[in-house]
Amino acid sequence: MDILITLLLIVVLFGFLAGGVWIGLTLSGVAWVAMELFSSRPAGDAMAVTIWGSASSWTLTALPLFVWMGEILFRTRLSQDMFKGLAPWVERLPGRLLHTNVIGCAIFAAVSGSSAATCATIGKMTLPELKKRGYPDDQVIGTLAGAGTLGLLIPPSIIMIVYGVAADVSISKLFIAGIFPGIMLATLFSGYIVVWALMNPDKIPVATASYTFIQKLYESRHLIPVVLLIMAVLGSIYSGIATATEAAGVGVIGSLILSLLQGSLNWQSFKESLLGATRLYCMIALILTGAAFLTLAMGYLGLPRALAEFINGLGLSRFMLVVALAAFYILLGCFLDGISMVVLTMGVILPTVTNAGIDLIWFGIFVTLVVEMAQITPPVGFNLFVLQGMTKRELSYIARVAMPMFSLMCVAVLLLYFVPEIATWLPTKM
Amino acid sequence: MRNALDTLYDSAAWIAAMFMVALLVMVMLSVGGRELGFHVRGTDAYAGYMMAGAGFFALAHTLKRGEHIRVTLLLHALAPTARRRLEIFSLGIAVLLAGLLAFFSIKLCWQSWQFHDISTGNDATPLWIPQISMALGTLILFVAFIDEFVCELRGTRKAYASDELLRNE
Repeated sequence: MDILITLLLIVVLFGFLAGGVWIGLTLSGVAWVAMELFSSRPAGDAMAVTIWGSASSWTLTALPLFVWMGEILFRTRLSQDMFKGLAPWVERLPGRLLHTNVIGCAIFAAVSGSSAATCATIGKMTLPELKKRGYPDDQVIGTLAGAGTLGLLIPPSIIMIVYGVAADVSISKLFIAGIFPGIMLATLFSGYIVVWALMNPDKIPVATASYTFIQKLYESRHLIPVVLLIMAVLGSIYSGIATATEAAGVGVIGSLILSLLQGSLNWQSFKESLLGATRLYCMIALILTGAAFLTLAMGYLGLPRALAEFINGLGLSRFMLVVALAAFYILLGCFLDGISMVVLTMGVILPTVTNAGIDLIWFGIFVTLVVEMAQITPPVGFNLFVLQGMTKRELSYIARVAMPMFSLMCVAVLLLYFVPEIATWLPTKM
Repeated sequence: MRNALDTLYDSAAWIAAMFMVALLVMVMLSVGGRELGFHVRGTDAYAGYMMAGAGFFALAHTLKRGEHIRVTLLLHALAPTARRRLEIFSLGIAVLLAGLLAFFSIKLCWQSWQFHDISTGNDATPLWIPQISMALGTLILFVAFIDEFVCELRGTRKAYASDELLRNE
């Protein structure tokens, strides 16, 4: 009987979601019904207390600040500067300026917590510049869509904060754990560009300018501000001077100073960044608080425990479990955004994961990687939406040219499984 | 009426933005305090209250700008009449849920005041004070959902084509 009601609740949940009821409200609504049915605790009061608790919890305060930092940097000339600083160095590599997409995204990812913001900020510069120079659209758009997702894996990362809070894992450790997997994925993307360029040498335009080494170094001065910002944020976390929240605060101040020095800070841009960040945070907060209450309600249902026991009973090997989870998340990622995906499943899946003896830091990186894939899988993928807005091309076209990047991410997941130290080694050195 | 409501949402959004700035100040106070050797009691807890304020007061404004995430796949695939029916259905559910949320948020704040609930952290704040942000914010969200519902029925609901949505996550 309980199973039947549980199934019914899940059907209602997905029915409401598909019908377009706002995700955050749906989560708390279903949770409210579940608690009314399954527990004697007054559901409404539990809802208010849980939502208040998660909306005012100190661990989450890094989130709005990193969101704000991204909004400030989006409105600076940082992307132009990065293009100027990077272009001289990659002109000689096979694939030439296509690498500015990957390296640019990787660097910007180290000051931004979001995949779509990374994609939009770097694309704002590279899309027109590369098009002007005659690089093939397929490769320009495809590599940008893939590389933009590095915004999630390379710290700071919104999704890691969300996961860290949901799984009760140190956010600082998660951030540090993301560094090597991020570099690995960027290398895979760049390697792909090199191989592709060697196979299609006629499709890459000739270099427009040649630089001496001294000139290259001089052009690199444009990268100094962003490198300083990265050092301030990640350096303070790694060395243990600051918590993730404090690093976020330092990041906001640093971005404001950077945009002041560049002359792009004025009342208008400050106001836009502040209100934009507030709205973005508010959107995330509604989902997070709803999910916190749903997790509580599911605990009363005993769903996480039942699922853990069920999967335990299947006797899957750990590899099969990881593959099954990856498949599950990729499928879910086709229809849901990353944050909803993580908060919706964490409460249910974590006991299973812990039962299987999987390290929670490692699992966080794994989840971040599969959420990255969700960013470029149609029909719902935020990087696809961003690029659709910027290039006016069909969603299906963008998804198709991003396919090679998607396959590389699958490779990255396998590498991460067989060599877990890629993620788990660095945090032990903190 | 239209103007009054829009002013309400916008002022709430500005209050939320102030809380965002206050959150930054709280965090920097605790960093600065440690580095420079002064101590401000309860900055962690205050930072949490500021964050709550930023989130709750922005709820209605974010809704009006079309930035709260929902799955629009089915909505966009439907023919106009069917889409309108589904919009009315999902808005109706949302009004109910937002009402529920507002009611219990106000009740929580009220009870905290009645029973003199004090924060368990070292800030010892009477909890009803920061909880006002939750009570008011969810109430304004409830109003905004009713507003959206009525606009949809009258056929005057504005669809925001927002770029901001594209930059989330």
